[in-house]
Amino acid sequence: MVIVRRKELSLRERLYLPEIARGLSITFRKLFEKPITRQYPEEPLPKDEVTRGQPRLVVKDDGNIACVSCGMCEIACPAYAITIDGGETDRPIEREPKKFEIDMLRCILCGFCEEACPKDAIFMSDELELADYSRAALIYDLEKLKRPKSALQKRIDYVYRLNNRWRKSSSTS
Amino acid sequence: MTKITVNGREIDADPKKPLIAACHENGIDVPMYCYHPGLRPVGSCRICQVEVKQGDAPARVVASCRTPVAEGMIVNTDSPKAHDVRRECLEFLLKNHPLDCPICDKAGECDLQDYSFAEGQTKGRTHEPRRKLEKRKSLGDVIVLDEERCILCSRCVRFFEDVTKKPQLTVADLGSRSVISTFLDKPLKGNYQGNIADICPVGALTLKRFRFQARVWNLSKHLSTCAECSRGCSVTAEVLRGGDTKRFRPRFNPKVNQWWMCDTGRFAFAHVNAADRAVALRRTADGLEACDLDAALSAAASALRGKSNVAVVLSPFATNEEAAAAKALAARLGAKTCFVSPAPNALKDDFLHTGDPCPNRRGLTDLGFAGLAAAEVAGAIAGAGAVVLAGERVVELLGAERVAALTGTRVVLFDTHCVDAAALDACIGVPVHVEKDGHWTNVEGHLGRLTIARGAPRGVRALDENLKRLSELVSPAGAKA
Ligand code: SF4
Ligand code: SF4
Ligand code: SF4
Ligand code: FES
Repeated sequence: MVIVRRKELSLRERLYLPEIARGLSITFRKLFEKPITRQYPEEPLPKDEVTRGQPRLVVKDDGNIACVSCGMCEIACPAYAITIDGGETDRPIEREPKKFEIDMLRCILCGFCEEACPKDAIFMSDELELADYSRAALIYDLEKLKRPKSALQKRIDYVYRLNNRWRKSSSTS
Repeated sequence: MTKITVNGREIDADPKKPLIAACHENGIDVPMYCYHPGLRPVGSCRICQVEVKQGDAPARVVASCRTPVAEGMIVNTDSPKAHDVRRECLEFLLKNHPLDCPICDKAGECDLQDYSFAEGQTKGRTHEPRRKLEKRKSLGDVIVLDEERCILCSRCVRFFEDVTKKPQLTVADLGSRSVISTFLDKPLKGNYQGNIADICPVGALTLKRFRFQARVWNLSKHLSTCAECSRGCSVTAEVLRGGDTKRFRPRFNPKVNQWWMCDTGRFAFAHVNAADRAVALRRTADGLEACDLDAALSAAASALRGKSNVAVVLSPFATNEEAAAAKALAARLGAKTCFVSPAPNALKDDFLHTGDPCPNRRGLTDLGFAGLAAAEVAGAIAGAGAVVLAGERVVELLGAERVAALTGTRVVLFDTHCVDAAALDACIGVPVHVEKDGHWTNVEGHLGRLTIARGAPRGVRALDENLKRLSELVSPAGAKA
């Protein structure tokens, strides 16, 4: 057991009013300084390539989705947010997702899916806001997840720069 | 039995089997691609090499699938030399491998992946472009061949030579241009093609009906028995996320099907995956309406109570446990019993398929149920006061029109789907065979096990349980009927 004794107050402190005046003077001084808070929805946060927003699927320049429904992101996701059903396509790649769902309420924006993907098909976008009237609407399907490659290019370049050394040393194909 | 020493452990080996089999049977892992316990060994892939010392000769590295066991042999599967040759062998196998694991159906259960992980080197040293071959070559209705992925182990070739005894595949061309091909590029024939996709150690042979439907690690695998004929091959039912059954695959059973199964059974999903399952319905003044199980059972009981001349008709898919419960119910009701016996089909062959699409004929017959053809059943129940139809697909096999035509007979139905019949008083859902525990007795008397691979639809209970409850409701134990 520890007995904590209060500090004895000095006479000036016990008089009360001088301390009030001191506190108010600080408040008054701060009124004229530049605020450090932000008017969030009107003034959005600055975003750059390091921002890890919600994951999005890359649509390549030829209009096809890059994902082959390999399921690597599904198994890497620690929040079990991703569900994929694959199927056959006539494109030379043979395989594509027929259903690709990310439950945005589960997603913890960790970026593991981006890291796991062997096809550069899923990247963390800079989209952060998430609100809707029902839970079902926040389970995003293929159509809601697709983004043209150009919209994600900044992040793609960043991830490549980050991984460059690793990629160079272990590439097999 | 021959005594040999493997990794310092003395084991008894069967002299008729190669060294690799002795290792596997004693729980010592030796990689293999071309060897398969059900096929003639050829020793073409060299991944199974181990170090062997015999007598005074220096230790040498041999292919364990082509080496007979000899008394006093000292085997080391783990020596640096053995690992080294296996790593080199993998490097050659991977030299032209497309490494398209992200799109390959075999990923996750691929021997090439597994052994590369265990023994291979992490870096490729090739600079040349990889061999380009045909990636989607159809070999008939069942199989697609990816020539790039094939490692030319020739298991598929030997399957048709050794197991079905009707050769259909061959290694065409020579050297690095070798590819697997059917004779004159004709499509594969027969009811056993699917097996070559199972035994292909890589993803070169894939099933058209499974391709890309699911990643194998998302499938939960459960013991089951094939429902398509009275052979009752032991299978694994593989279920995707508790929903659809995506695959049936043969499960090794030395007494019934060894490693194999037929394509009819392999692709028999239509019924197990059917939608719109019945749960519980009863007849009211305005026709059939959904209700809870208790209400449906009491409607069933009042339809049966006090009726004379009752019949209990089982489906040929009823398990022994369900049949026993049906027999007890019949005894309480003083009812006749029989099961609907589907007609033999033309699939009979000299390998596995018996041509009798009734997986539990032997079990039901042993329990005293007579197998009657649908028309005979209809004749037998024509004048009955009430009839209990029980088991999955009983209406389908009896003919919905025969049930609809019944007049003066009240019907209690236990089936996966309801039928529109004026005589129907209650319909209670049953689990399909991948949703229940039980046993079927196959044509030779072996018991085939069924386990719960996925839950039945909400509200559906086991058929034997419901039949027992119905017996209680119709005439409570102890009371005189
Ligand atoms: S960011 Fe993380 S939590 Fe979200 S989907 Fe990807 S892996 Fe799952
Ligand atoms: S890891 Fe990439 S390619 Fe694989 S399923 Fe996920 S997004 Fe698609
Ligand atoms: S297709 Fe498969 S089973 Fe046939 S030789 Fe090639 S790797 Fe072996
Ligand atoms: S398994 Fe022995 S050489 Fe292929």
